[in-house]
Amino acid sequence: MSAKASTSQPVVGLSASGALSHAYIKYPPLRCNIPESSGLFYDDGNKIIVSQANNQVFSWKIAPFTPAIAPTSDSISEGPILSIKFSLDGKLIAIQRSNHEIQFQHRETGETFTQKCKSESESILGFFWTDCPLCDIVFVKTSGLDLFAYNSEFNMLHLVETRKLNVSWYVYTHESRLVLLASGMQCKAFTGFQLSSVGIIRLPKFEMMMAKAEANSKPVLASKDVYIITVYGRIYCLQVDRVAMLLHSYRFYRDAVVQQGSLPIYSTKISVSVVDNVLLVHQVDAKVVILYDIFLDSRAPISAPLPLLLRGLPRSSSIGIRSNRKNGDNSEANYLSDLEAIIYGDDWNFLTPDLICDVSNKIMWKLHLDLEAIAASSSDVTSVLEFLQRRKLDANKAKHLCLAMSRTVILERRPLSMVARVIDVLVSSYAHSLKTGGYFKGARSDKMATSSAPHENILSAGCMASASGATITGKSFEYGTACLEGEYFQASASSGTDLEDISTAVYFRTDTNIGTSKVPIDTGIQKIEVQPPSLQTDHDGTRNNLSGTSVSGMQEPQLTSPVISPDEMYSFVFCPAEEEMAGDPSYLVAIMIEFLRSASSEKIKVHPNFYVLTVQLLARNEQFAELGLFIINKVLEPSREVALQLLESGRQNRQTRKLGLDMLRQLNLHHDYVVSLAQEGYYLEALRYTRKHKVVTVRPSLFLEGAFASKDPQILAAVLRFFSDFLPGFSHTSDHKIYYHLLTDITMAPVT
Amino acid sequence: MGLSSVSSNTEDLQFCVFDLKRGQYEGQELDKILFFYPADLPFPSQLSVIGLSEGLITFTSIFSPEAPCEVIEAEMHSHVFYQAEPDIWMVMVVEKNTEVQAVWRIDALRNVLKEVHSLFMMFHGSIRLLLMKDPTGVIVRSHLYTFILDYLSAFRKWRTLDFCCCDFLVGKKLHLPSFRDSLKERGTVEMLTVGREAAIEVQSLVRVVESCGGNAQCYSLLLFQDLLVSTTLCPDDTINLFTYAVLRLTPHALSSRQSSWSYRGKGNSGSNIITKSSTEAAASFSEQHSPNSWSEDHRSIPRPLQHDKWSKGKDGFLVNDIWHGDSGNSTSPTPVVYLQQTEERMYLCAYQHCSLTLLFVVPVSSIINGEQGISAVKQLILDNASLKMSKVEEKLSKGWGGENAYHVSGYRYLLIDADRNISRASPPSKVATLAKDSLLFLTKLRKEVDIEKSRTRWDCPDHDRDLEICIRAKNNAWVIARATRGKELYMVLENANETVLYASDAVEKFSNRYCNGAFLD
Repeated sequence: MSAKASTSQPVVGLSASGALSHAYIKYPPLRCNIPESSGLFYDDGNKIIVSQANNQVFSWKIAPFTPAIAPTSDSISEGPILSIKFSLDGKLIAIQRSNHEIQFQHRETGETFTQKCKSESESILGFFWTDCPLCDIVFVKTSGLDLFAYNSEFNMLHLVETRKLNVSWYVYTHESRLVLLASGMQCKAFTGFQLSSVGIIRLPKFEMMMAKAEANSKPVLASKDVYIITVYGRIYCLQVDRVAMLLHSYRFYRDAVVQQGSLPIYSTKISVSVVDNVLLVHQVDAKVVILYDIFLDSRAPISAPLPLLLRGLPRSSSIGIRSNRKNGDNSEANYLSDLEAIIYGDDWNFLTPDLICDVSNKIMWKLHLDLEAIAASSSDVTSVLEFLQRRKLDANKAKHLCLAMSRTVILERRPLSMVARVIDVLVSSYAHSLKTGGYFKGARSDKMATSSAPHENILSAGCMASASGATITGKSFEYGTACLEGEYFQASASSGTDLEDISTAVYFRTDTNIGTSKVPIDTGIQKIEVQPPSLQTDHDGTRNNLSGTSVSGMQEPQLTSPVISPDEMYSFVFCPAEEEMAGDPSYLVAIMIEFLRSASSEKIKVHPNFYVLTVQLLARNEQFAELGLFIINKVLEPSREVALQLLESGRQNRQTRKLGLDMLRQLNLHHDYVVSLAQEGYYLEALRYTRKHKVVTVRPSLFLEGAFASKDPQILAAVLRFFSDFLPGFSHTSDHKIYYHLLTDITMAPVT
Repeated sequence: MGLSSVSSNTEDLQFCVFDLKRGQYEGQELDKILFFYPADLPFPSQLSVIGLSEGLITFTSIFSPEAPCEVIEAEMHSHVFYQAEPDIWMVMVVEKNTEVQAVWRIDALRNVLKEVHSLFMMFHGSIRLLLMKDPTGVIVRSHLYTFILDYLSAFRKWRTLDFCCCDFLVGKKLHLPSFRDSLKERGTVEMLTVGREAAIEVQSLVRVVESCGGNAQCYSLLLFQDLLVSTTLCPDDTINLFTYAVLRLTPHALSSRQSSWSYRGKGNSGSNIITKSSTEAAASFSEQHSPNSWSEDHRSIPRPLQHDKWSKGKDGFLVNDIWHGDSGNSTSPTPVVYLQQTEERMYLCAYQHCSLTLLFVVPVSSIINGEQGISAVKQLILDNASLKMSKVEEKLSKGWGGENAYHVSGYRYLLIDADRNISRASPPSKVATLAKDSLLFLTKLRKEVDIEKSRTRWDCPDHDRDLEICIRAKNNAWVIARATRGKELYMVLENANETVLYASDAVEKFSNRYCNGAFLD
């Protein structure tokens, strides 16, 4: 725990304390250790890990990642296993037995059938299940793709379509629904297909870049050097160029593949993970990881290369691990094998997007980001906040960090322009989430302007459905799909491959990270279709149906987004800052104006409390003239709260009180206005107003007491007369009697 | 002594400043006089004016020590009194024009006195302080002379540009606030109405600018054209700086420089003649008092109200050649002003971007190395705020309705918010279309309201008086005055119907539409 404790401090210097890292894996891991088992297979379609032993297959859900989870088991027939994948509805198990045949088994009935290659010349490279409407499973063969549909009636596959082309090897991720087929001598010519729920898209052919070491040598690209990653709903391909020591990136659009620049690499062995849309490039030889946030065009790393740490270890400190790792000493390695934690060991297998499979120890690690450490390692508060605002996985922590950082910049009295930028980041992020529906709490009332594009609306609605579903069913879902990215791919294509449009995908896509739900959106016909997901047979039986996409998940403490609403800004930033900042409040006022500017430019409503605080600050500094200007120009929006505060703050300043009165009148708060007028001594004006606006809630005694206290018999007489004339039955009340006597006393007194 | 001797002079205006504490003994009476206009009036005549004033002040202060004497209405003249500082009085004597039945509104004239004194204070500090520094009075006299004469010429010039009055007379006659100005209120600022978004943008700009002064408390004033957009100064200082800016600094005032050049080409600009003659007059006056000291002195006296001395520099900041550096610098040092609110000496910087003028005052005490420090602050402003400034300018220009933005058709009005010293009026060109009768009636009405107001002020200072007066003028126009809790509304409706109901309806409509229903209880 020492590691965690030291890095969780917000201030991290350059002291190279042993615990400094930006990414870590957390103890305990998920153990997939069944006695006599052999092989671990990753089924990324269903997000499960599969192992087999004694004619049994065991499967562990890894989304959500819970180390203590028990496996489910199915018995299968004997034979060699090259790979196992469950169908997306969980009903079938497909087992590749050899290069020529794949066996299918129905999980409930146990019925099996086998699909073989037709000719001996071709061999099966692999297969994957798909949610494409055309087919259910795709075989990748050396001669091309075979698309099959499953016929449950006859319990067989029938061929739907064949795509002929030479394939050397392929890569596929279910997350992107994209299969890349390599061909050619150097295996650097690629054909891509995306098999998403709206159909199959064939990408244009493209070649990857390969630097030549010498004139004659031609390096051959291997499948382990190509990664498909999904970041902010965009699909990229990363390719390792060992000669140039670069990691080239390509971004996929429907009609184009665009090279996006390259990242330097510092190790011959490279692996890539994506955690919460942050790209982790593992420099395996150097045993460090470099983080990139490729949201913007910048290819600069988020921070310096740092080792990956194991946190939460019960016995040993991470310092020990580090030194052991460095020495690579055998005896110490043995000691560590006990802990099963050799960082960047040879047996580490990086699975998309954020898992590490230690094959020899049969354990699974999940990668985490240390947001605090990342935040503390940069001095550029604005970019750190932007980064944090894009985090969805640990939204709670990101949000708290954002709040703490914005409080700090204010308390440290940093330059106004810089604080303004900080506020802009937070406010625009909130506004964006309002538009896209990502911020549910805020969506209930605070949204003033709705986005205009129907396209966008539909997407946001879809996002809402998916996320709300996620909070309900998130616990029991095994359906790890990220079909939204796929949809985005579609969406962008249908709207003319607009880069901007695609970038908006960020916030939708990320929701699927948490709630792995399936929400196909048909952008083509612009309607939302929320399918109840077909679930595989479940062990603990807890299952909710997504079709009831109720919004009950909104009250969940688990945040889906770190955006900060204006109310939260008020209570967690401005109020604490106001309490802690002694002396001249003009700096804070300046900040608050910046906040208003930001909010008004994004058309976000600000809570009256915020204005009340501003009034208090200005009045405390006796800046009454400025306060007047603020009210007249409606910089501080009129409300009852503000009006009452003006009356209160203006106790020493008549002009300010008048502003409060005027505001009450303009807001048509008749009762408050009349009472305040009377308190100011404007009895007759107040009475005139009561009559004109038929205010009946004010007691006559209020006026009578005041008029009597004024010691002006004229006023008292006028007030009495008013009530006698306009209030039926007043002349019989005790008030009338008392004040009539008092009046006669006053008027008689000077005479006698 | 008699008023006749005064009226025999060709001038229709006399203006004097005197100190009751000076010249107490016979033979030293001349010592009282700190300023007299016209300067070429023989001393006995000057002394007779001052003697009468002093006598009345002494007499009336027996009954009313707080506010001794406000005005003497003689048959041919009105004497307007203003106590600028304790024992220092300013008196203006104006001739009554019997031909046109024109009446002076005394409050308007007193506001002129008040304004010239406030501006003087802003640039030179109080008269009493100057007298204490130099008991001979030479410095005060020379300062007052150049300043007041510059002011009066400024006055004239300003009027020329602002008004297209047909009966404005060039030459030696001054245009004092007359019945034609009854829909104007001196000593108030006119504000630009801005939308919320623009207002926030403006405030954001103001904060950024003021943060450029570091830890020192700085203030700023922002004008769009000749209208105030924002101020962080107290009302009195705001009025002074605003008045000065409109006179000399706004694009309008700066561009008059060009037009005056063309005047000069023709060689008969009234203002130039006055400026010249005033210097001469001042010189001649001072020579009489202290023949030796004047000639060296007057060159070193800064004359902030002098014409054509400000221009826009390359960096957008306004530069002047009014204040002279000690070491004979080619560029004028930054002017220093005194704030009434804090009684602090402040550097005054002015920045202009298109129609936007930013006045920025920094405490002298906070700037360590003089001009160098100032230029550092200026650079900071340029770096941090120039972008915002152009954004604000653009926004305000877009929202501005032009010269006649605040014209309400059918109405000729003046709206005063006395709490905030803000006024808004129909554009002068529209007021000029009113019949003379309407304006004369309005002046009379305003006089009545002035009296009523001053009574209330003495009776119950915490309570504002409600007033409503509608008068049917000779030419059948409705002349209306309303006052409610610190706000005043004056209105002339020439095309109104006969009934008073119609007129009051029109007021109600106006109040609802343009005053948030302030005149409606």
